[in-house]
Amino acid sequence: MATDTLTPAPSRTDPPTPGRSTGMRRQKRIGASAILVFLIVSSLLMAAPFLWMALSSMRDPTELAQVPMPLIPQDLRLENYTDALARAPFATYARNSLILATAAAILNVAFGSACGYALAKLRFRLAPAVFGWMVACIMIPFYATVIPVFLMVRHMPLFGGNTILGAGGTGWIDTWWALIVPGAISPFMVFLFRQFYVTTPSELIEAARLDGVSEFGIYARIMTPLIKPGLLTVALLSFEAGWNNFLWPLLVTTSDSLRVIQVGIASFRQEASTDWHLLMAGTTMAAVPMIILFLIFQRYFVDGFAASGIK
Amino acid sequence: MSTSTPPAPTAADARAARHDLVPRRSTVRAAEKRWGLLLAAPATLHTLLWIGVPIVVAMVLSFTAYDIIHPPEFAGLENYATIFTDGLFWRSVWHNVLIAGIGIPISMLLALVFATLLNRAIPGRGVFRVMVFLPHITATVAVAMIWLWIYNPSENGLMNIVLGVIGIGPLPFLTDPDLALGAVILVTIWQGIGLKMLIYLAALQGVDGQLYEAADIDGANFVQKFRRITVPMLRPATFFILITSLIANFQTFDLIYILTEGGPANSTSVVTYRIYQTAFQEFRVGLANAQSVILLLILIVLAFLSRRIVGGTDGD
Repeated sequence: MATDTLTPAPSRTDPPTPGRSTGMRRQKRIGASAILVFLIVSSLLMAAPFLWMALSSMRDPTELAQVPMPLIPQDLRLENYTDALARAPFATYARNSLILATAAAILNVAFGSACGYALAKLRFRLAPAVFGWMVACIMIPFYATVIPVFLMVRHMPLFGGNTILGAGGTGWIDTWWALIVPGAISPFMVFLFRQFYVTTPSELIEAARLDGVSEFGIYARIMTPLIKPGLLTVALLSFEAGWNNFLWPLLVTTSDSLRVIQVGIASFRQEASTDWHLLMAGTTMAAVPMIILFLIFQRYFVDGFAASGIK
Repeated sequence: MSTSTPPAPTAADARAARHDLVPRRSTVRAAEKRWGLLLAAPATLHTLLWIGVPIVVAMVLSFTAYDIIHPPEFAGLENYATIFTDGLFWRSVWHNVLIAGIGIPISMLLALVFATLLNRAIPGRGVFRVMVFLPHITATVAVAMIWLWIYNPSENGLMNIVLGVIGIGPLPFLTDPDLALGAVILVTIWQGIGLKMLIYLAALQGVDGQLYEAADIDGANFVQKFRRITVPMLRPATFFILITSLIANFQTFDLIYILTEGGPANSTSVVTYRIYQTAFQEFRVGLANAQSVILLLILIVLAFLSRRIVGGTDGD
């Protein structure tokens, strides 16, 4: 950026001469390479923690105790991963996270798109109220409601030994219900879907109505296929939120068989305490799936984040 | 957040609709109304049950003494009185303010630098964008684990290796009350740049290129163009980033839970962590709900204040 300011501003009066513009071009080139160098250095700094994680996850544990520790590991030790897998059931954790994240993606796409479509394209009396409510919900942080949600889950009537009044047992605590249901539909995804449907042509709806297509058919078979990238975006964002979720699974699961990967990592930390090669192997296993998913579907993620920013 | 409302039927629409009240059209209209409600119902009912009801319950419980085991007892304003004299709660609020006040401006500035540089045709810009954005996509638990290892107090922690080069340390970043909050803020900056950059990039793409061409003809230099075109055009995006960052900042939890557990000596306790402790470690559920209500109020006030300061996004 600073290098660009070195470019002399041509004064308005003299017309640019050929010689001058080649000089400017050279300066532009120097500026461009300076920017490139800056970007390489700064983005490497941004990525350094991940590189450090990957390196540490393949380090021989004896190296970790060495002072000074060689910056680059002498040899890459993949057994750290099998060791970590032997110490904690990461496969189960990952499976649980996968189920949770997939459920979040499906439910948000199904119900979020329905509501988003109704808000964008259908005129019904409560539409403004519903839209206002959804926007208000986006502003309400989960942390402000987490205790009552926990109490509601715990006192869910007729579950987990509870009476019809929700007393006596543990309700949904330590069940898939608790993991999936309370967070199944995100108001933000409804909002996002509405934004996607708003950009679709309403003339199609009118035409389909004249052709006698049912309202549900218009939504499901005509309008929704138009926003396929949007569907993928919402599915991916919901999946990501589900995979990365921590506090809620931490609160409502107690058994190892229901533990999700983020909670698994946190508890593995207590167990492996200073075995950083194992901890980093576990952390890599928790982080890498999302990174790969992001690399594959980058465009759709970015669309979602951008749409959230600029309406 | 956009403030646009759904396309409300105008008075003219309504008149037009009244005029062609042919039976067929009215049945179509009835079907539209019915399906509008039906399609919106699941999401609306779900959020009413799992966000609306809990908000009301939180407010009600904030006026009670409740320990989960015994039924809640009405306690009037006692919890709120407790909060006002609870030094640790306000210290936690203050830590949020510090994290936001120091971290957000720095990461916004860095995000803006990255966005302006990566908005041009630069070789490999896709790779750069991914590298800057990865910290956002990664679970905060994993991020916190990585930084826990980077901040390792021994000579083999990466931060101490780096500082060792210039002859400092080794320092116990996360166990020294004077260093811990700074260490936390650094992580929030690092993790926060990506999303902000992305929103700035999207906004930059919306800036009309002709503005810059016109400025070029007028002989404006890079700084002038940046100040007179880019910055004003990015105002709505800046407002949006500020608001969402403030709200996100007051929801910092995972990072603190893993990195410091609020310590040492409560020097990194934040509001959400304090609420978590009050409810799930001390079992003072009524008090914790009162704290949640205060958190909600803080966020509402912040939303209005930032709108006023930045000038808002009226009409977009």
